[in-house]
Amino acid sequence: MSQGNTQSHNAKTTGHVWDGDLEECTNPLPNWWLWAFYFTIIFSITYWVMYPAWPVGKGFTTGTTTITYKNDKGVEKTTHWNTRALLMKDLQDAREKQKPYFDKVAATPYEQIAKDPQLNNFVASAGKVLFSDNCAACHMSGGQGKFAFAPNLVDDDWIYGGTYDKIQATITGGRHGIMPAKGGADLNDGEIESLANYVLSLSGNTMDAAKVQAGNDLFHGKGACFSCHGADGKGNQDIGAANLTDKIWLWTDVKAGGPADKNVAAVKATITSGLNKGVMPNWSDRLSADQIKLLTVYVHDVLGGGSKK
Amino acid sequence: MASVAIGSSEQYNYDIVRKFTIMALIWGAVGMLIGVFIASELAWPFLNFDFPYITFGRLRPVHTGAVIFGFGGSALFATSYYIVQRTCQTRLLSDGMASFTFWGWQAIIVLAALGDVLGYSQGREYAEMEWPVDLLIAVVWVTYAIIYIGTIMKRKESHIYVANWFYLAFILAVALLHIFNNLAIPVSLTKSYPLFSGAQDAMVQWWYGHNAVGFFLTAAFLGMMYYFVPKQAGRPIYSYRLSIVHFWALIFMYMWAGTHHLHWTAIPDWTSTLAATFSIMLLMPSWGGMINGIMTMSGAWDKLRTDPVLRFLIVSLSFYGMSTFEGPMMSLKDVNALSHYTDWTIGHVHSGALGWVAMISFGAIYHMVPRLWDTKMYSLKLINVHFWLATIGTLLYITAMWISGIMQGLMWRAYDDFGNLQYSFAETVAAMHPYYAMRALGGLVFLSGMILMLYNCFMTMSQAKGVASGDMAPQAA
Repeated sequence: MSQGNTQSHNAKTTGHVWDGDLEECTNPLPNWWLWAFYFTIIFSITYWVMYPAWPVGKGFTTGTTTITYKNDKGVEKTTHWNTRALLMKDLQDAREKQKPYFDKVAATPYEQIAKDPQLNNFVASAGKVLFSDNCAACHMSGGQGKFAFAPNLVDDDWIYGGTYDKIQATITGGRHGIMPAKGGADLNDGEIESLANYVLSLSGNTMDAAKVQAGNDLFHGKGACFSCHGADGKGNQDIGAANLTDKIWLWTDVKAGGPADKNVAAVKATITSGLNKGVMPNWSDRLSADQIKLLTVYVHDVLGGGSKK
Repeated sequence: MASVAIGSSEQYNYDIVRKFTIMALIWGAVGMLIGVFIASELAWPFLNFDFPYITFGRLRPVHTGAVIFGFGGSALFATSYYIVQRTCQTRLLSDGMASFTFWGWQAIIVLAALGDVLGYSQGREYAEMEWPVDLLIAVVWVTYAIIYIGTIMKRKESHIYVANWFYLAFILAVALLHIFNNLAIPVSLTKSYPLFSGAQDAMVQWWYGHNAVGFFLTAAFLGMMYYFVPKQAGRPIYSYRLSIVHFWALIFMYMWAGTHHLHWTAIPDWTSTLAATFSIMLLMPSWGGMINGIMTMSGAWDKLRTDPVLRFLIVSLSFYGMSTFEGPMMSLKDVNALSHYTDWTIGHVHSGALGWVAMISFGAIYHMVPRLWDTKMYSLKLINVHFWLATIGTLLYITAMWISGIMQGLMWRAYDDFGNLQYSFAETVAAMHPYYAMRALGGLVFLSGMILMLYNCFMTMSQAKGVASGDMAPQAA
């Protein structure tokens, strides 16, 4: 907009003067401005001819552009341009692009998938999306879990088992872990105190020897803890009973090297009240068998916490 | 404020202009300060201090309310009352009514801010106020319209100056938009339900929201431009014909474009097309104002070298031209698919809000203050410093948001070789962090300019203490 190209310096004014010195020149509309305005109008009319644009009665002008796509039932349809059909076509294109890989995952045994570099890459890519959309809300984006909420999937500790089959069963059917309350009628406070000392001693904490001895008896006797957690306290993955001999705690706030009285209090609370929180929903209604298989491989091999046996 | 006795013998009511000018300065500083704080919260979330009343969700509408309606609104009241009197050669229709618009408008800003912080909100962007405040707004606005139209009707000039057309369009359109968007059924003093529902409600809201930009932040500030640019430059408006054509085209086109805020959502496809095409056709009518303002400088370009006030006005027109080009581009469905929901939108809004609305208001206020208080500006040098702080702050802000927004949009739609999304949402947030810090810095630079202006203007007012009433005597432009 260089100076004075189109405005003559002694341009005429309209003759009106406001507030002492406000005047207006009579310059014509700049040509480039007028033509650019016409161009935007022509652009818009072209747009209206090609796409849905003007309401007419209860309908609208549909435009000349069409979209061809296959609906859910595989029937090919052609409609005027609309965002719904555009989405269906995008989804269809994406499905078709991924189908060969999903088919290959479905046809390949678990152990072989990780050994095929291309399939492995596909699982890492598609699994991340499935995991982020469905699992990460509880297990967190990296599968690291959240204390007192959802187990860590990256470590080697598995409540219900970390083999392909077990993980697949967990995702398909969901899980609901329950530990019965032992407080009140079953055990008195002193007994629970002893049991807590014994349980903590199982994972290598140095505890009060007399209480550990008493707890040992209760664990294998009156408390009947052994019936789920096993005589050695190593748990039972078939029923989701936790291994008490490792240092991994999901529901009970035990801190390795933390103050003994706080740890004891935490274990006592769990024994007294039991647990009824470990609910993982059933995913078979929401995910296809192929998707669950892919997620299983993702959890087992990509997140890397899966176990062989 | 200014304890100036107003005799009815005074030709113009400047007292009301002075009051609104002072509040524009104060709301500007407050609103921008909140803006810098919430921008910092986004960059460094510890600033929430786990105190719910100061979190982003509550303070963001306080920021927009304070800068749009507090700063922008007060600046528009001040300039429109100043311009309508001077270009009609007559006093405002009624001093009492004008005073009512002042106290009413200030009460609205305060009530709106309290409602936002305490959680009384309709959840409608730029229209958060609940129904009792909405009624107050309607009453104040109708009073404003009566004063404005009444003043024009008793004018002593044969013709209505172009700036007044724009202010009139702004007043009428905002009344219409405000009333229809806030039709609601009250269930208690602090809660109501909108009359419309679903997609229709969304379309009414964005018909309002976009025209709030169109009439409040564009048409009205063009009115400001049509007075202060030729006044400060001492040159006639470039083309009377252009002003007529672009005025009517702008007024006609803007009303159709709001639905472009809802592209790719559950609205009929034809509404999207109409919104996009009318936005494209809006480009040249919008630019008409810029051309008319900038071409008015023909033969007076040298004044830019010495006059920082004129510099504010002209640079604001450049930002206006830039953001009114960007807007129609972003309203195209394919561009919108990338830009929507990203920081690009925030950048676009601020290139208009900081670059255009705030800068032209700064220019207008610097022009008016010495005339209203009948003195010279305390420091011309500080105006120059303010100009550079405002320009650099705006550029930093919008550059940060362009990079952040386009990166964010591209990351959201990035697919890997297998057709799966490449980034999780959290990864896009992490990538934006440096630009959030840069945005907060840009805002801080802009705010520091605003504070300089506040200081400069108050020093000017205090050195003019005892300004007598009466006409401020005709000034040389």
